[in-house]
Amino acid sequence: MITIKDINFSYDRNSKVLDSLCLSLSENKIHGIVGLNGAGKTTLLNALYGLVRIDSGIISREGKNLTKKDMSFLVTESFFFSNITGREYLSLFKNHKFDSDKWNGLFSLPLDQIIDGYSTGMKKKLALLGILKQDKPIMILDEPFNGLDIETCRIIRSVLLRLKEKGKTILITSHIIETLTNLCDYIHYLEKGTINYSKEKHDFAEFERELFESIENKNVELITELIE
Amino acid sequence: MIETIVKIRFKQIYRALIGLGLIRIIFLIGLFGFIVFVLFIETSKYPDSYYVTGLTALIILMVHAKRQDKLFLKTNFDNYKRICFVEYLISVSILITFLIFHFQWIPLLLLLSALYLIIQLDLKIKKRNLNTKLQQFIPSECFEWKGGVRQTLFILVTLWIIGFCTAFFIGSVPIVLFILGIIPFSFYEKGEPYQMILAYEMGTTQFLFHKIRMQLLLFSVLTMPLIAAFLVFHFERWYIPIAEYFIFISLYIYLILTKYAFYEPNSKSTSAQIFGTIGVFSGIIPVFLPVVWLLSIRFFFKSKENLNIYLNDYN
Repeated sequence: MITIKDINFSYDRNSKVLDSLCLSLSENKIHGIVGLNGAGKTTLLNALYGLVRIDSGIISREGKNLTKKDMSFLVTESFFFSNITGREYLSLFKNHKFDSDKWNGLFSLPLDQIIDGYSTGMKKKLALLGILKQDKPIMILDEPFNGLDIETCRIIRSVLLRLKEKGKTILITSHIIETLTNLCDYIHYLEKGTINYSKEKHDFAEFERELFESIENKNVELITELIE
Repeated sequence: MIETIVKIRFKQIYRALIGLGLIRIIFLIGLFGFIVFVLFIETSKYPDSYYVTGLTALIILMVHAKRQDKLFLKTNFDNYKRICFVEYLISVSILITFLIFHFQWIPLLLLLSALYLIIQLDLKIKKRNLNTKLQQFIPSECFEWKGGVRQTLFILVTLWIIGFCTAFFIGSVPIVLFILGIIPFSFYEKGEPYQMILAYEMGTTQFLFHKIRMQLLLFSVLTMPLIAAFLVFHFERWYIPIAEYFIFISLYIYLILTKYAFYEPNSKSTSAQIFGTIGVFSGIIPVFLPVVWLLSIRFFFKSKENLNIYLNDYN
């Protein structure tokens, strides 16, 4: 079990990005984090991975501190060093069992070409191959489906489900709620820096309906006013 | 519209300055004051005023070719050329003032004409990347060298061959060593994504020493045959290439420590670039070397502190 207890984080004194956030994540499951823009999703993932120093609170795994040794993190925007090839990027990660060419059969990337010439989707696929090569027990994926075509999204979904079966814990965010309801075991709703509620698989349909209704109702008057 | 853009530019400059910190701002103001003083002196006499004008036009041309917001300006503003012209005019306003002050009308006319011509050009710098088998011999963790060698392979190979084949001339190897020593400085300009730092799975000290060790190893592989060739022909002057070699070793240690002291993922740090320039100066004027050594010690601790957020779990 990964336990996040009462974590607080703010970039300045005026506003808290994470506000006494508590969350328990059972292992060997896929967890989705949903929230509107600015809800604190990426900050939560950064805090979990240790890229921001939280002001207070505890993040632990089975009572011990969670470290980067246990996790891999796919960030929203894929950046790479200029003038290196895809193969050279992958060769940085130490996992001799990982057959890059075999895995690349899923994505068909030109691994021997310089990454600067890759499209946005290709860069995302390469970053994902890097994450898969790291083979860590916990995978944090921030918007992994952004910029990818339907086929690749489906392939990634299948890969993630298989990885879960192999015992990985996956934490994933997405703006496309359908990608999460099709994939996750739990969805946690983040609002104003805190987890408002968590839903299990059998509640996803109701959760989706409620969420869409609430968003539409909140803006219906303004939209009517603007269009008229 | 132009007024808004200019205001935004000044705000960007202001924010960049604020980000630098007080000491570096003072240093920059000092440097700027010195340049303004030199400009004032140089624009007063012929033919120096022409050289200054030519150099300024060349710098503006380089900026125009390299700037990455041209597409943004083109797609969002009808009068993007006028915007560029006003920006360049403001950038060289001090020089224009000095040229008027010294009645240097021809250089002034040339400068304005050059600016007008530059904005008409739709320049793009095409980088040639040579993807050869040579990169396979560079260890995978030396991605800076893999990328850098791709960009500079032609110059590196040409210089190396010239240096090696003309080693019997006493000045040949030292000059080639100097240029070969300067080239890798550009390899470390940009900060890599932090995932590439984490891929080493090392603690901060171990990581820094590893980076330095690999840089020195690759530089040694590149330069040792040249030094050996020099020693064959001019053994009595052995200290020239050896001194050069050790100066560059100092500079590389400083360069790597500076990079990580101001490391920001996926970007070029202005502070690292400013301090890196001091390093380049000490390659030319060795009086600066003690400053570099002292700063290296300071930046070693600063690097450790800066990288700690990424590598703390491996310490």
